[in-house]
Amino acid sequence: MGFNMRYLDLKRKIRNVRMLAIQGIAEAGSGHPGASFSAAEIMGTLYFRKMNHSPSKPDWQERDYFINSKAHSAPGYYATLAVSGYFPAEEIKTLRKLGSRLQGHPVRYSERQRDHSVPGVEYSGGSEGIGLSVGVGIALASRLDGKKNRVYVLIGDGESNEGQIWEASMAAGKFKLDNLVAVLDRNRIQQDGFTEDIMPLDPTKEKWAAFNWNVIEIDGHKVEQFVDALNKARQAHDKPTLIVANTIKGNGIRHMANNPQWHGKAPTKKHTPVLLEELESEYFIAPSIIAGERENYEDKIKKVEREGVDMIHLDVMDGRFVPNITFFADTIKKLRPRTSLPFDAHLMIENPLEHIQDYIDARCDIITVHAEACTPDEFAQIKDKLLAAGISPGIAINPSTDVPDWLYEHLRDLDVMIVMSVNPGFAGQKFIPEVLPKMVSINKKLRDHGFMGYIEADGGIDASTLQQVYDAGARILVAGNAVYGNVDIHGAIIQLRHKATVALERRLLEHASRLGIRADWMKARKHILIPYANELGIEGELHAAK
Amino acid sequence: MQLSSERKIADMRGAYGDTLVELGKQNERIVCVGGDTTESLKTKKFGDKYPDRMFNVGIAEANLVSIAAGLAIAGKIAFASTYAAFIPGRCMDQIRNAICYPFLDVKLVVSHGGLTVGPDGASHQQIEDLASMRAIPNMRVVVPADAISVRHLIIKMASTPGPFYARLARPSSDIVYAEDSDEGLFEFGRGNILRDGSDATIIACGLMVGRSLEAAETLREKGISCRVVDMFSIKPIDAALVEKCARETGAIVTAEEHNIIGGLGGAVAEASAERYPVPVRRIGVRDIFGESARDEEIDSLLDKYGLNVSEIAKAVLEAKSKSRK
Repeated sequence: MGFNMRYLDLKRKIRNVRMLAIQGIAEAGSGHPGASFSAAEIMGTLYFRKMNHSPSKPDWQERDYFINSKAHSAPGYYATLAVSGYFPAEEIKTLRKLGSRLQGHPVRYSERQRDHSVPGVEYSGGSEGIGLSVGVGIALASRLDGKKNRVYVLIGDGESNEGQIWEASMAAGKFKLDNLVAVLDRNRIQQDGFTEDIMPLDPTKEKWAAFNWNVIEIDGHKVEQFVDALNKARQAHDKPTLIVANTIKGNGIRHMANNPQWHGKAPTKKHTPVLLEELESEYFIAPSIIAGERENYEDKIKKVEREGVDMIHLDVMDGRFVPNITFFADTIKKLRPRTSLPFDAHLMIENPLEHIQDYIDARCDIITVHAEACTPDEFAQIKDKLLAAGISPGIAINPSTDVPDWLYEHLRDLDVMIVMSVNPGFAGQKFIPEVLPKMVSINKKLRDHGFMGYIEADGGIDASTLQQVYDAGARILVAGNAVYGNVDIHGAIIQLRHKATVALERRLLEHASRLGIRADWMKARKHILIPYANELGIEGELHAAK
Repeated sequence: MQLSSERKIADMRGAYGDTLVELGKQNERIVCVGGDTTESLKTKKFGDKYPDRMFNVGIAEANLVSIAAGLAIAGKIAFASTYAAFIPGRCMDQIRNAICYPFLDVKLVVSHGGLTVGPDGASHQQIEDLASMRAIPNMRVVVPADAISVRHLIIKMASTPGPFYARLARPSSDIVYAEDSDEGLFEFGRGNILRDGSDATIIACGLMVGRSLEAAETLREKGISCRVVDMFSIKPIDAALVEKCARETGAIVTAEEHNIIGGLGGAVAEASAERYPVPVRRIGVRDIFGESARDEEIDSLLDKYGLNVSEIAKAVLEAKSKSRK
């Protein structure tokens, strides 16, 4: 990534969008969770980072436009607008109800529609296949006016059955609209089933390329890939850009994911708290490339990139703060163009303030410094520099260090808290189990004081310890030897994910039990739970759940 | 009322094209979207003059009107034009959802409305548009009687926010209004009494206005005093004028180049029924599809489908005979 997007803050906002959307849908008793979730990263990245827009002045003349052509993603769209600040988040509970501003399908805001819409909605969707044409019109007008703004249109793959999508596609090609970007939410599911069964769209890329579009394909849940694609779209001249975002319908709730039954169905209200916990429990696998052989970091990154890991953990050691030396900003700078994966730089160095600019310039996405290595004043300066550069700030503490008192005033701005579970300096150390209760109490204490970021577990994390740190509240899981110390990297990452999933499912089951809906939850989740039944000790129970 | 003193005909499309060029000069926000019929619609004149503001999107009407919606969202006043068979014939949904619901500045100005399309036949004879466009909330529907009306209505439309549907006819038509008619005659929601009378009222639109005036003249010879109204504004309809005519003349005949269901006849009958019920007779296509006719056969085509002077006169006599006045 390295695009100064404050990565973890973006991820958290998108998580909040999903949480808000599911509350709205559950409250309404109807709506489209699937489409809201497949497009959450697309809409979130546009609204929270890439688009120039102004929630306090929605009709600002120079704004970028977002046209939500697949308007059944309304709950996700509304939640995105709410998190952006267009209207109060509580209002999501009125979704689809009589008298609500949040209509089943969003309505273009105007004086006439002020009772049925919210400021910021540019387009009345609901009838499929129209929005791209509208985007073409806006792009033509913007170009005519010599504006520098961009027009983004979200379209669906089911929606692409509509002939008008292709009329608009042809027109955008003819008019060479390089200020227009269409994002295809390619979740492969439409109302009656899978798109390729109902009306095949493939070969999608070739079709759009044949219509004279610049086509980029990405994993639509990886914000870093999306940002990368949007930046590339800016380089395309005389051509509109289509971003084929391969997504998973219902992504975020495991039993809804990729399941056509959840295209337009609301979850039962009593499940909501458990669903919210699942969304809140999102975790990140961050392989640390100093583990194993020292050479060829780029190759190490490539090996895990194709496994779909979430970020790359970079352990910077200066031989002073810790006895070992690894690499510095110049190495990171060289690696940066090789991947779009976010860089999670962990600076185990003295005088971090003195060097911080080098790491900012190397375009890291998260930069964590050690509490032991800076004064309160130095940390304040570091944090300000990072925030100004759009980098997620983090702080790390060694196993024997407590959270310093001076950190509390920074908690709201802090994206990462690394609780070291080894004494830093070398790869391959043994996990210190005493860190677990410490992590639990830090997590609670920090949250009570306004911390909204992520606890990161670093040191000795492998298949045997991962569940414990996960249970203790860690959501960024740094794995070094557990990945690179293994010939079978693919298998190693699957195993780590498996362990995290077991921990997650156990927590959700416990939550369901506390709510008295355990049997019901197991029924809804049956197929998801089967592979974990043995480890969860629920084989008999699951068999009985019909 | 100043009516044209001499008998002459003029082309509505030509008037539209010229007016659009005039508007384009005054207002940079005016843009035009065409659909491979720009020569025929005379919007090409605008395109020749302002190539940056003319967008020909080919034969893709759903796309055409939706692009117009996008242009309007970004601050333009978008004129969208092709044949009535295709706008609104092919894009009711887009007009409803992308233009009317958000109340956008899109002006649908189409030609070839009604039967007088000529040799192209029933596929191109749009006789349902007034009914469908009238039924959409926020839409206003106008059918100008002649080239003079076209000019005034197009100018007014451009400066009035929100969507309009204006339907022009293909053939050149009788000039009804005086060349120097006051712009005040052309208010949306108002009809014009072109000829006064006391025994019955003919309320007409489009090409049928000229024929209605002729019918009134033939009836005068039979001693019947017939009022003639140009109801160019189908929606909003001038209900007050309908009521006034009902009260004062006791019988109403409507005349339009449209199916008798849901168009001008429907609108007038609704207004009369609610405000002051009197006998109403509707002249229009009697819920059947039309057919081809060469240009020189257009009058015969209208005769065959009952849209002529004698049928209007007959309907007036019939309505008057049922009148309680």
